[in-house]
Amino acid sequence: MESQIHEIHQQLMNKEITCTKLVQDRLDLLKSNTHNTVNSLLDTFALELASKVDARIKNGEDISLLEGIPFGIKDVYMLQGTLATASSDLLKNYKSPYTATAIQKLLDAGAIPLVKENCDSFGHGSSSENTIFGAVKNAINTDLVSGGSSGGSAVNVAKDYTVFSIGGDTGGSVRQPAGYNNVYGLKPTYGRISRYGLMAYASSTDCVGPIAKNIEDIRIVLNVMSGKDVKDQTTYHSKSISMSAVLNADEIKTVGYFKNFIESDAIHPQVKADFLASIEKIKAKGIEVKELDFFEADTLVSTYYTLAMAETASNLSRLDGTNYGARIEGENLKDTYSITRSENFSEETKRRIVGGNQVLSQGFSDEIYLKGLNLRDQIADNFEKDFKEVDIILSPVTPNTPPKIGDSLKDPLAMYLSDAYTVGFSLGQLPTLTIPQGTATGLQITAAKNNDELVLKFANFLKDTI
Amino acid sequence: MSKIMTVDILSSIKGAQPSESVNKLFESIKNANSINNNSFNANHNNAVTLNDLREDVVIDSPNAEKQIIIENFPKEKNGYLVVAKVIEE
Repeated sequence: MESQIHEIHQQLMNKEITCTKLVQDRLDLLKSNTHNTVNSLLDTFALELASKVDARIKNGEDISLLEGIPFGIKDVYMLQGTLATASSDLLKNYKSPYTATAIQKLLDAGAIPLVKENCDSFGHGSSSENTIFGAVKNAINTDLVSGGSSGGSAVNVAKDYTVFSIGGDTGGSVRQPAGYNNVYGLKPTYGRISRYGLMAYASSTDCVGPIAKNIEDIRIVLNVMSGKDVKDQTTYHSKSISMSAVLNADEIKTVGYFKNFIESDAIHPQVKADFLASIEKIKAKGIEVKELDFFEADTLVSTYYTLAMAETASNLSRLDGTNYGARIEGENLKDTYSITRSENFSEETKRRIVGGNQVLSQGFSDEIYLKGLNLRDQIADNFEKDFKEVDIILSPVTPNTPPKIGDSLKDPLAMYLSDAYTVGFSLGQLPTLTIPQGTATGLQITAAKNNDELVLKFANFLKDTI
Repeated sequence: MSKIMTVDILSSIKGAQPSESVNKLFESIKNANSINNNSFNANHNNAVTLNDLREDVVIDSPNAEKQIIIENFPKEKNGYLVVAKVIEE
């Protein structure tokens, strides 16, 4: 199978390259890049780790598969002693006191972190424009947005600045930028990877997700990061996915797609035509394809945003400048809180906090928040029913191609609605992978909960099918 | 107790107002169909079972962690965090 990780591993073992040169070259690319993907470079740390890998190779020691492989980290993860800004003014000088479990597992496996990557502030956005470090520019066309919120991570992978990057996906924040920059991006089943050390946006859908250029690299990184963690009690034990398992997709007999996604007026005619052409190619391989009924896009988006805003209002209430963050002193304690938050949160973050507090207020919670929870249950029930009929659900990633830089900030509602195809799978806590095939912004492959392996199998099958 | 709290106070954000775009999302929720309005489906929550709770023990943070926490203090005096005087209302 195609894999940059295997390829670089062989080059290191065969002494065709040194790890120090590998890391230095990538750091140079990151430093000189004009896509605004970098919040901070971890150059000293990365070069120290690289020289240790070189010393081990020189001593004739075997190195493990991920040892010396350079990767990127969305700037919402903790890595002890490095800045963790969430692309915000409030945390622009905040230093991580500890390391996230997922990142620690990669460090333990020998991977080398190069960069904290630009993203929408606190994950609040679908374009990576809501950031104090400048809008992230699309890898293919710099007039367009990179997508978000893990935009810097997707662009770094697409441009080969990192071999893989670790994004965070709450409502599509890995899958949508992966689609906009033509790379692979996985949102695993909720709970498969520990969220400990990932700044909480909406805790009930937050997922750690790898972005890479091929399926094998996604598989390797997913296996390393997965597993139960006492520091995140929503995690569960999962079985490692083998390469041989991914190569065989014979068990996939039936694929479904949501009719209303494709028949919607909001979908671009070319995305629709390309999606249906992909469906025909799948049928030609003898796989049965079923049309499925699903919730209307505006119901999905509203349910997701209602719950996400409620959760983010609660999660971000700790950011008041008392213990850490850019405190601005006021006349008294309450004044200090509100000046700090008013001055240091972006407009989009404030919009979401206020929305969240609205729906959690007496008088609103019953008809909006509780109804949102109820709709979420119905959505999850709908998925359970669907996966009794089909093995895989296929969907476009986005209804349209990436917008121009500047457009999303002018029209927040349009930005929210552009998440229509990704948020449903988040609410269902399902494993979903974006592949850079099928439409201009890729396809999403989804399986039932805990069946991440089936997603990778089907992705491998589609590689030669469409 | 019955004092009305506006969203700017609830959010600790000066002058905060509800947004028109967000209100449109809420309108959509109000108009959506739902069944059993007050049910909460236990199959879909991620609550931990009682026999799977972590040990209830205090784990002391490593020194390196404590040092960074102190470095992150917005205002510090003799190793202590300085906060504004709390005013009772």
